[in-house]
Amino acid sequence: MTARVVPTEVDGSGDLGSMTGDPGWLVVAGQECRDLWRSGRGLALLFCLSVLLSAVTYLASTNSALNFLERREAVNLVLQFVVGVGVLLTLVVTADGISGERERETLESLLVTPVSRRAILAGKLIAGLTLWFAAYVVSIPYLWLLAREVGIFSRAMTLGLLVGTLVALGLGCVGLLISTVSNSNKISLAISLFLLVILFAPTQLPSGLPAGWFFDVIERLNPVSSGLAYITGQLVQAHPWSEDLSFLVSPVLTVVLAGGALVIAGPRLVRLTVGSN
Amino acid sequence: MSVTLEAVRLTKTYGASRAVEDLSFAAEAGEVMGLLGPNGAGKTTTIRLLSTVLTPTSGEFSVAGQPWTAATEIRRRVGVLPESSGYPRSQTGREYLRYHARLYGRSGQSARALAADLLGQVGLADRADSAISSYSRGMRQRLGIARSLVNNPAVVFLDEPTLGLDPAGQAQMLNLVRDIARRGTTVVLSTHTLPEVEQACSRVVILDRGRVLVSGSVAEVIRAAVLERFAQLRVPPELVEPAVRALADVPGLTVTQAAERPDVLRIAFPGSATIHADRRDGPNGALMAVANAEVPVLSYEVEGAQLSDAFLKLTRESVG
Repeated sequence: MTARVVPTEVDGSGDLGSMTGDPGWLVVAGQECRDLWRSGRGLALLFCLSVLLSAVTYLASTNSALNFLERREAVNLVLQFVVGVGVLLTLVVTADGISGERERETLESLLVTPVSRRAILAGKLIAGLTLWFAAYVVSIPYLWLLAREVGIFSRAMTLGLLVGTLVALGLGCVGLLISTVSNSNKISLAISLFLLVILFAPTQLPSGLPAGWFFDVIERLNPVSSGLAYITGQLVQAHPWSEDLSFLVSPVLTVVLAGGALVIAGPRLVRLTVGSN
Repeated sequence: MSVTLEAVRLTKTYGASRAVEDLSFAAEAGEVMGLLGPNGAGKTTTIRLLSTVLTPTSGEFSVAGQPWTAATEIRRRVGVLPESSGYPRSQTGREYLRYHARLYGRSGQSARALAADLLGQVGLADRADSAISSYSRGMRQRLGIARSLVNNPAVVFLDEPTLGLDPAGQAQMLNLVRDIARRGTTVVLSTHTLPEVEQACSRVVILDRGRVLVSGSVAEVIRAAVLERFAQLRVPPELVEPAVRALADVPGLTVTQAAERPDVLRIAFPGSATIHADRRDGPNGALMAVANAEVPVLSYEVEGAQLSDAFLKLTRESVG
C-alpha cells in the first residue's frame, strides 16, 4: 500500500475554513459517551444495576414472607439503592477520566488540540453523569410499581432526580479530581472506592443504634448519607419540601468545592504525568 | 522562505534538573528539521514545549507568527505525533480522525470528508472502518501522521515516527515526511535513525543533555564536528615511492600503506579540510600533488564523512 500526502498549500493561519463545529466540551462529551456506551461498558453496568434492582423491588413488594417494609419505606429503599449505585457508577467512570488517558497514552494527543483542559474535564464529567441518568431512567418502572399505590411516584422521581443529580455531580467532580492526580487507573479507582466505602459506611449502620450528635454531624457532613437522609424525610416521614433542607447543604457544598477546584485547579492538574508542568 | 518556528533561549527545569537549557534555533516553511540527540537529550521535552503541552521555565518561542503565550493559537497551527502515542483501540481509523478533526472545530460533515481524504493520503483507505486494535504498528504510525494533519498545520512535530518499523515502513514514513514538507509545512523530525535524517532533513539540531551542541545543514554539522576524512589512492606499485613523496608536500595529510596492498595508499585529511579546488590540504590538493609528480592514478576514492560520525563525535566530546 503506497502512502502519499497530497501537497496542499499551508497558510499557517490556523483557519480551518468551515469552523462551524461544536464546542470542544461537547465534542469530548460526545466521544466519551460513544466510548462508554458503544463499548458495552455502560450497558453492562446498567444491566447489573437492573438485575439488582429487580431483586430488591421483588423482595420489597411481592414476597409476603419477606415483605417487612411499609410501602413508603420500600419506595425509599429502592430509590436509595438507585441513587447509591448510580452515584457509585458515576464516580467509577469519572475516576478513569484523566488517569485512563494517561495509562493508555492518549492524553498527549488530546492536550495538543485547541480544546482547553477545562473543556476536556467538562466533557468527561458529562459522560460520567450519563450513567447516573441512565440508572435513573432504568429505575422508573420499578419505582412506579412500588409508589403508585401510595401516590408518591412523582415525588419519588423528583427527589431522585434532584438529590441523585446533586450527589452524582459532586462525586463526579471528586472522581475527576482524583483522576487528575493519579498516574494510573488502579490508584485512581482504589482511592475512589475507598472514598465510597467511607461515604456509604454511615448509611449501613443499624437503625437501632442510639443517634448522638457525633453521628448526626457525620451524617450531615457526608454528601451521600445526608442526601439519602433528605430523601427518607421526604418519602417516609412525608415532610414538606422546605423541611430538612439542611441535609442538602453537604451535597451542594461538595458540588461547589469539588466543582470549583476542578474549574480553578483542573487546567493545572491535567498534565501528562502527575507533578510535571 | 519565512521562519515558521523560532526558539530563543528556551529553558525547562524540573527542580534542580534542567531538561532543556538555552535552546535557540529557527526553521523555515517547508523545511524538514532533524532533532537529534542521545536518550535523555531533551528532544521530547523540546517538542512538548513547542507544542505547548509543557510551559517553559524561561525563554520564548513562536510558531507560525504566534508567540508562545498564545498557546491555543499555537495548538491550532501545529500537528504532533507524540513519541508514546496511544490509540483508542475500539475506535476505527475513520472515527478516530473524525473525532480529532472535530476537536479542531470542524463540523461533523467536514470532519467526515477530511477523515476520508487523510486516510486515503496515508494509504489506509481500505482499513478505514477497521478497529485500530487490528492495525499494525506501521499503520498506527501512519494514522498518527494523518491525525497530525487534521488541522492543516504550519508545523508538524514527529517524535520518533519510525520507531519499531521495518525498513519498508521506515522508507514509507520518510516519503510521507517529504510529502508533508512539500505542502509548505515545517516538519520537526526527532529520531535516532541518522541515515533518515541525512536523507530527509535540510537542517539538523543536535542536542545533548538539554543543550544545542550544533545546528545547521547536514554538511555544516559534519564540518562543525571537524571529522577526519579519508581517501584511498591506487597507483602502479613501482611508483608508490614518488606518490608518497608528492603527498608529503601537502600540508596536514597522513599517508599510510596497507600491508596487504602496497599499491594502495590510505590518506587521512585533517578535519578542517574540505573539497575545494583551491584548497591544497583537501582531497583535490592531494590528487593534484600526485598528478603533478606525473604518477598515474589508477583509482582514487574519497570517503564522505557521515552524519552518524559527526553525531557520535560531538556527543562523545560533550560527555567528555
